[in-house]
Amino acid sequence: MIKLSRITKHFGRQQVLRGIDLTARQGEVVAILGPSGSGKTTLLRCINYLERPSDGEVEIGGFKVDCKHPSKKEIQTLRRKSAMVFQHYNLFKHKTALENVMEGLVVVRKLPKDEARERSAKVLEKVGLGAKLDAYPSQLSGGQQQRVGIARALALEPEVILFDEPTSALDPELVGEVLEVIRRIAKEGITMIVVTHEMGFAREVANHVIFMDEGRIVEEGDPKEIFARPKEERTRQFLKRITPEASYSI
Amino acid sequence: MKLDPSFIWTAFVKLLSAVPTTLFITFVSVLGGLILGTAIALCRIYRVPVLGPISTGYVAFIRGTPMITHLFLVYFGLPAVVDGLSASLGWSFRSVSIPYIAFALVAFTITASAYMSEVVRSGLLAVNRGQLEAAHSIGMTTPQALRRIVFPQAFAAALPNLSNSFIGMLHGSTLAFTVSVVEINAKAQIVASTNWKFFEAYLAAAVIFWGLTVLIERLAGALEKRINVYNRGGVA
Repeated sequence: MIKLSRITKHFGRQQVLRGIDLTARQGEVVAILGPSGSGKTTLLRCINYLERPSDGEVEIGGFKVDCKHPSKKEIQTLRRKSAMVFQHYNLFKHKTALENVMEGLVVVRKLPKDEARERSAKVLEKVGLGAKLDAYPSQLSGGQQQRVGIARALALEPEVILFDEPTSALDPELVGEVLEVIRRIAKEGITMIVVTHEMGFAREVANHVIFMDEGRIVEEGDPKEIFARPKEERTRQFLKRITPEASYSI
Repeated sequence: MKLDPSFIWTAFVKLLSAVPTTLFITFVSVLGGLILGTAIALCRIYRVPVLGPISTGYVAFIRGTPMITHLFLVYFGLPAVVDGLSASLGWSFRSVSIPYIAFALVAFTITASAYMSEVVRSGLLAVNRGQLEAAHSIGMTTPQALRRIVFPQAFAAALPNLSNSFIGMLHGSTLAFTVSVVEINAKAQIVASTNWKFFEAYLAAAVIFWGLTVLIERLAGALEKRINVYNRGGVA
């Protein structure tokens, strides 16, 4: 279970998160939506401390960290209980697909190399890249790179995988293959928190949708409810702009 | 003046005996400079309190003064420091027993460290911040991330500049003759002093330096090719 309590974040004098509470149960897929600048990516990065929350509490799998005075060790533990898939993939450029996935298993989880290699190959197979084990990121398409990124996170078997706009940097025709992979692993019961602009995807895959604006959670609930009958005016505006009704004829 | 081609050859052969000294000075100062320079670059990039500003000042001063000045400052300053230290700690060690080449090694390491720190810094800055974040996200500590992810990529990015500095230090090592170290240039002077055929001797020295430089260029080129395998590829 992931639990965030009263998370706030300041960049200098600007407050980007104004007290966020969020819970994701085991196996739940939480989608975070909202206009750009609403703080959704910052919130996600606060969970594994790539961004340091100014105040609040982060709890992953029973391990609780007070954001006021976290120790290096606590931050380390949070990061080992989570994994992240980045908007720009951030694959290790000097390592092959297989080595990218192996890296965390060998260096962090201290698995023997053979075992790590076997496990990594299996995970890459699962995301449809069994034939690209020895390819460097520069030899892969964006969609393939992002699938390696997903495999890298998946191989660590974390409590939660954090997705930071995983398809925003992709060519439109490559979005599908990545969403398909995420959809598949969601079905396996892996807890996921996904910041996304893909409304259709959020509606279909998420169990819980959070709509953020100006550092606050404006509305949250069941995706069918939120997409069909948003309660708040701000949510309505946003959804209208991003998923225009097909009211026009061509 | 008439050129004596045969003496160029004679000098060339005699100069070869000084090549190890030149290479020793070069390698030690480059290696020492690289280690010290990396520490300096990290202090500056991560804005380490106290050490960061000191590093910035150090680089500014060292790069702002000539290499030969470093050598003289070390040559005339170090003995006093060593003797003072030795006396206060009750050692029997005296500065007169320091070999001349040690002054050159210390001074050139200092010189190299300032230039190398900038080479290393440019390499580190060339590595996308996302690489460090990704390493952190899978649970690596910062030292692990630096060693396994950031440094290899930074090294690849810095290699052309690094070979440049290496060549600079090779040529700069000739200054060691001012503190009585017999490297290639000093040897040329000695060889020519018997018959005054300085031009021939220095010509031979030039050929040797050129040869060594070409060697360094080739090695760096080969290394660059090997290390940059991951940057080849059509897409992205």
